[in-house]
Amino acid sequence: MTTASMHQSRLVTPAGLTRASAFTALLVALPLVFNAHWMVNLLFFTVLYAAMSVAWNLIGGYAGYPSLGHAAFFGLGAYGVSLVFTGSQVLSNGYEPFLLLPLVGLGAGLIALPIGLIAMRTRADVFAIVTITLLFVAQTLAFNLKGLTGGAQGASVAPPPFRLEIFEQPFYFAAAALLLLAMGLTYLAVRTKIGLALTAIRADEDKARGIGIRTTAVKLMAFSVSVGLVAMAGGIWAYYVGFVYPQFAVDPLLTIAIVLMTFLGGRATLWGPVLGAAILMPAQQLLAYYVGGSRLYLIAYAAIFLLIILLLPRGVLPTVFHRRRLSALAATASQAEAQAVPSTGPEVLRPPTVMASEPSYVQTSAGERR
Amino acid sequence: MTALLDVTGMTKRFGHLTAVDACSFSVAEGSITALIGPNGSGKTTVFNLITGYLPTDSGSVAFDGRSIAGADPGGLYRQGLSRTFQQARVFGDLTVQENLVVAAGGSWRSVFGRRMSRSDRIRAAELLEEFKLSHVADLFASELSWGQRKLLEFAAVLMSRPRLVLLDEPTAGVNPLLIQTMASHIRSYNATGVTFLIVEHDMSFVMTVCDQVIVLDRGKTICVGTPEAVQSDPRVLDAYLGD
Amino acid sequence: MHALIQGLILGVLTGGVYALMASGQTLIFGIMKVVNLAQGAFVIASAYLAFTLFTRFGIDPFLAVLITTPLMFCIGAAGQWLFLRPLRRENAAELSLLVTFALALLIEGILSVTYSTTYRSINTGYANKSFEVAGYTVSAVRLYGFLLSIALLGLLYGVLQKTRFGRAIRATVQNPQSAALLGVDATRVQAYGFGLGISTAAASGSIFGLLYPFQSGSHYDLISRLLSVVVLGGLGSIGGAVLAGIAIGVVSSVAAVLWSPTWSEMSFFVVLLLVLLVRPQGMFGRVERGAV
Repeated sequence: MTTASMHQSRLVTPAGLTRASAFTALLVALPLVFNAHWMVNLLFFTVLYAAMSVAWNLIGGYAGYPSLGHAAFFGLGAYGVSLVFTGSQVLSNGYEPFLLLPLVGLGAGLIALPIGLIAMRTRADVFAIVTITLLFVAQTLAFNLKGLTGGAQGASVAPPPFRLEIFEQPFYFAAAALLLLAMGLTYLAVRTKIGLALTAIRADEDKARGIGIRTTAVKLMAFSVSVGLVAMAGGIWAYYVGFVYPQFAVDPLLTIAIVLMTFLGGRATLWGPVLGAAILMPAQQLLAYYVGGSRLYLIAYAAIFLLIILLLPRGVLPTVFHRRRLSALAATASQAEAQAVPSTGPEVLRPPTVMASEPSYVQTSAGERR
Repeated sequence: MTALLDVTGMTKRFGHLTAVDACSFSVAEGSITALIGPNGSGKTTVFNLITGYLPTDSGSVAFDGRSIAGADPGGLYRQGLSRTFQQARVFGDLTVQENLVVAAGGSWRSVFGRRMSRSDRIRAAELLEEFKLSHVADLFASELSWGQRKLLEFAAVLMSRPRLVLLDEPTAGVNPLLIQTMASHIRSYNATGVTFLIVEHDMSFVMTVCDQVIVLDRGKTICVGTPEAVQSDPRVLDAYLGD
Repeated sequence: MHALIQGLILGVLTGGVYALMASGQTLIFGIMKVVNLAQGAFVIASAYLAFTLFTRFGIDPFLAVLITTPLMFCIGAAGQWLFLRPLRRENAAELSLLVTFALALLIEGILSVTYSTTYRSINTGYANKSFEVAGYTVSAVRLYGFLLSIALLGLLYGVLQKTRFGRAIRATVQNPQSAALLGVDATRVQAYGFGLGISTAAASGSIFGLLYPFQSGSHYDLISRLLSVVVLGGLGSIGGAVLAGIAIGVVSSVAAVLWSPTWSEMSFFVVLLLVLLVRPQGMFGRVERGAV
């Protein structure tokens, strides 16, 4: 038994704690070191999108339910915050919106339960369609429920009273906290039976149900937590930008950005979506900076998008893990060959060429087990 | 011996085709019962109906004296009725060890329990040892050979300590050595009190392993008896050779 | 009552056009299990093509179909060959969703660069002509569009039923493995099948351009409706898509009469959700059995 597998039975490993603290320290240090406004702005969006990608990964990556409707819940969170803090006599617009966020997440998570129950009666493709439909429903609602959303004119959020020199920082730290929360929840899911159940559901849901896994409950839980986190991101965003327009609050491009980030970094891995966001968000901003004014932006974005999917279909981290695993397996196989133990019969001893048939999906547990 | 599984008048139609036609039989507790019949005689459909993967059109199924018609596969599994599939459905993205653990069943609360508890690990290690899969415990199931997958699925089914196991062609596509291994596993678990119902084409396997045989033809039970009795029954020959 | 029947007529006529668009999309799903999120973008691209052919060369949008259909077929087949064929099989279903979404963005980007983002419409001489039948108004463009859609659906049906290529497609839809064993060249069928599916966008684009003002971003509205139609009809079922297209056309235009046009949009989705609640496989879809 390896040292790594000895730790499996513990919920939180020392190595996990170390990585978590190092990453937290990094998140805290970043805006203090790179404190130019444009830089903190970029960091804010990177971390916010990373949080949403990590959240999407729970349902889209681990459970294999590719939701395209998460933007609907982003919008829900955004309008939620704008509704509460516009013209409110009771609540102040200092740090209170941040404190309200858990409620926003909880509310969205509850709303997601009946929706998820219906949507998850369908599988992969149809699920994607149903959720994208949900997105358009939300957009239509945002445009038409003028009393609540202000329609196409948009809704404003009371401006925050933060000092100009550090204006972005509270938002950045809220987003960073959200990212850590999303990663912590993912980590816990993976380290409990929930993670096993999610992967089993992705691999063969009918069989999973047949061996007594509470598939509906686990899926609903993952969906609800996932969209709840995204709604919280929407709330932070609304307070930051100060004005909520339907086409930006419920934007198909937002869904696609977080999906793409997750794919690029690696689905069903804890760090993949973070890596994906860290690469794509700056790239996107750079692109917007150079070709932003012109409409070439969309073409360039689509082209990068296609390139990533065609060249790196599994994502960065799974590709790395896979390579590493290949060489490790080749090493043990050559050892086994040297010892030449025939006791298990011809069927059981596998040459290293096995690896030609790769795992049918990205690696999951192996990824968490470094 | 009392009947652990009782199937009465079970019927399933797919459009105009009646796949299972008022089929009745029972499986005695502690037995190793074979379900045989020519291709297309409805054996796998019967499995799907018993285990709740397909709804029955009419008829009743009783497990341990209680009606289980219309029950959910997961619920039946928790009650001690589990099955394997002809094409060895294992979870390719989980490791071999995890494939066992995930099949252990467990209470609602255990969903929030650790991915792999100490007791999970011990139980899985026992089975892996027994099925000679310990050396591949950390491989992904998708990296196993066909025969290993068959073994793994069988081992996983035993994790939940079932009372009745339905095996769908345990020897299909498996080498002779492994067929022997399968047979000895079935016998040794049977000795501990597990009842088996096995769909099988390999007649020599049926003759050596099973103590009761049910013959199905065009969705109907045509004959029930000991392997010897069934082998010499003219109706069985007719069914296989056609009329 | 009069308004209701008027809405009904309008719904059937509009629904026919949706049926045509959706038939291509559902065909693509049937052949290669790809949910084509770019179908709407191809329709809008065709609408722009018809617009250019009309404003530049004076070619009537209905005649332009003769040019745009083969063109869309080629673009579709090439797109499949370039972007979908290379996908790895095991997660092709999810990746293809993203690829077709990227294609939609690419098309939107190209259209917005070429035509800018202002709304366009194709104003032919008969754009505002209409017939009076028993007191009900029937717009000429809608009627012609409906007839053309039905004719093309008939043609599509003929191609699938009567030609060798059609048989190969149907065999692939029913059982890809057996079709391959029978000597059907799967890669070829997929490329041409995708082309065929996209080519239905050509005529629907012309009609769409005649009926509504459009711009490069209009494909979002379209695709959401198309997806509802194909899911409702049961993915992969062309007959289902046609019926669902007409059904949804009727429901939304009747909803527009009874409540308001803004909410008729929503009726698409409400119908979809209600149907999925009862039948997750859609109205006419086959149940995918978990047990094998």
